[in-house]
Amino acid sequence: MSSSVINKDEIIKAIFLNVAAVILFFSPQVEAINIISNITADTESLSVTQLRRIYSMRQVHWQNGTPIVVYVLASKNPLHQKFCREQLRLFPYQLDRIWHKLTFSGYGVAPIEVANERELIQAIKSTKGAIGYVENLLEVKDVNIIEIDD
Amino acid sequence: MLTSLKLMIRPSNLSNYYFSTLCSLCLTMSINAAEIKNEPLQIHGFVAQGVIDANNSNYINTDESISLELTEVGINASYQLNDDFRIAGQAVYLNGGNRYHAGPRLDYLLLEWDAFHNETWQASFYVGRVKNNHWLYSSTRDIPFARPSIINPQMTYFDGFRDLAVGGDGAAVKLSYSDDVLGEIDFNFSRGKSVISEEQTDVIIGRFALGKIVHDLDTQASTYWRPSYSQWRFGISANDATFSYQQAGIDNFFDSDFVLQFYTINAIYEGEFWQFSAELVQERFVINGFYFPDFHRDEIGQGYYLQASYQLEKNLSILTRYESFYANKDDRNGSELAQNSGGLVPSYFGFHHDSMIGVSYDFSDKFRVNAEYHWMQGGARLSPLVQPNPIANDSKNWQVWAIQFMYWF
Repeated sequence: MSSSVINKDEIIKAIFLNVAAVILFFSPQVEAINIISNITADTESLSVTQLRRIYSMRQVHWQNGTPIVVYVLASKNPLHQKFCREQLRLFPYQLDRIWHKLTFSGYGVAPIEVANERELIQAIKSTKGAIGYVENLLEVKDVNIIEIDD
Repeated sequence: MLTSLKLMIRPSNLSNYYFSTLCSLCLTMSINAAEIKNEPLQIHGFVAQGVIDANNSNYINTDESISLELTEVGINASYQLNDDFRIAGQAVYLNGGNRYHAGPRLDYLLLEWDAFHNETWQASFYVGRVKNNHWLYSSTRDIPFARPSIINPQMTYFDGFRDLAVGGDGAAVKLSYSDDVLGEIDFNFSRGKSVISEEQTDVIIGRFALGKIVHDLDTQASTYWRPSYSQWRFGISANDATFSYQQAGIDNFFDSDFVLQFYTINAIYEGEFWQFSAELVQERFVINGFYFPDFHRDEIGQGYYLQASYQLEKNLSILTRYESFYANKDDRNGSELAQNSGGLVPSYFGFHHDSMIGVSYDFSDKFRVNAEYHWMQGGARLSPLVQPNPIANDSKNWQVWAIQFMYWF
């Protein structure tokens, strides 16, 4: 009696695992967001608070004194939205609000917006002190990869 | 009559010239923006045009017709001179009908010195023409896509005081601190004065005053605090300003001094779909002279607004706000005001209330339309403030609607 119960459980478990495996196999691959910088930044890791400070333009120099140049994609770009929510834990409109206030009051400058990920990577490679984000690190070379500590 | 018509036409032609020039600059800079991305020079701007209508009031125009006097154009540039110094400037063209005089303005032109910075502190000094950065929306009150609505809450952002309150020639300091425990703390201080044009004098005092207003000094301070990772932000500000009126050779009014002390407390909540904001205001307005040499009036006004917005879908959001302001907290129904003026100024000039609803739709990242309707009550925030116009504003209840399209880069 008990062995038949075990068998039923095992069958249900096996079905569940197989269904999960099929779902995962056919699902679009979810990439993690990676923070990259120009090699002059000389920083291996940042806390979430530090990253927020950089993107809200409250920290404008790296630890070694190099000025930070912030690059972003357009506000409604899915990667930018994901970066704001997952890495900065901010809503994209909150950053827009901070940047608009700085830009149009004269009290600061906003990040530089580029059209796509390829342009962003190119800008990070060629601009001293630049920071940005990418979804896929496979094709990214000659940049500094920054780990984000919780 | 002919003379006044000519006077109206000339500045209008001049304004059109500045308007066209600014529009052309915006277009050119927008096209060239991609070419200057890696330079220390940053250029941004905006163009906004709308249609607006005020009923039972001369808030926009005297004939109460539907008007296109809802134009805002601006262009700014920022140039990083070296690691420590930056220059920035912005020119705007504004046309808001009777709300403020139409024409071009140098909004700000400043030199920034990044005096000190480390991982938690940042201290910057600004010299030149600096913007008021102290109230919740003061630095973006003219920036169509960065303010909450087309018509700002008038108790804080009174259009008649726009040129006085938007900033001035002087200096400012900004101190920023942030860490994991205390969150983000900002302290702002500024001192300066504004240049008040003849047209602006008319907006503030009225056409019967032939002298001129001088802004003697303006001192402002504010502090903002966002607790660590919080969606709330809290602020407090104080403003002490003095003005004088210099009577003309032949004038209906006398030399006088004005004192305006303005205090605000504000809070804002930024959620995923909901946003809330509120400001409480207390203002002390002192008049010494003006009506006759020994005249003295010292009144304290109070007000507040509550605002909520909700994002219905990705590109569509709705907004509602209630605002209430009393020019004299000890005369909330305005009966003393009416009595002291011998019945010339109706009691409803003692208060200002506004209930509004609005909608905002984003066509793209940089192109938006805003539409809103206001149910106004009272005339305490109608120009001219010192010499109210009860003939043009003969109704306690009045309404405004507006639709504005805006593009920015």
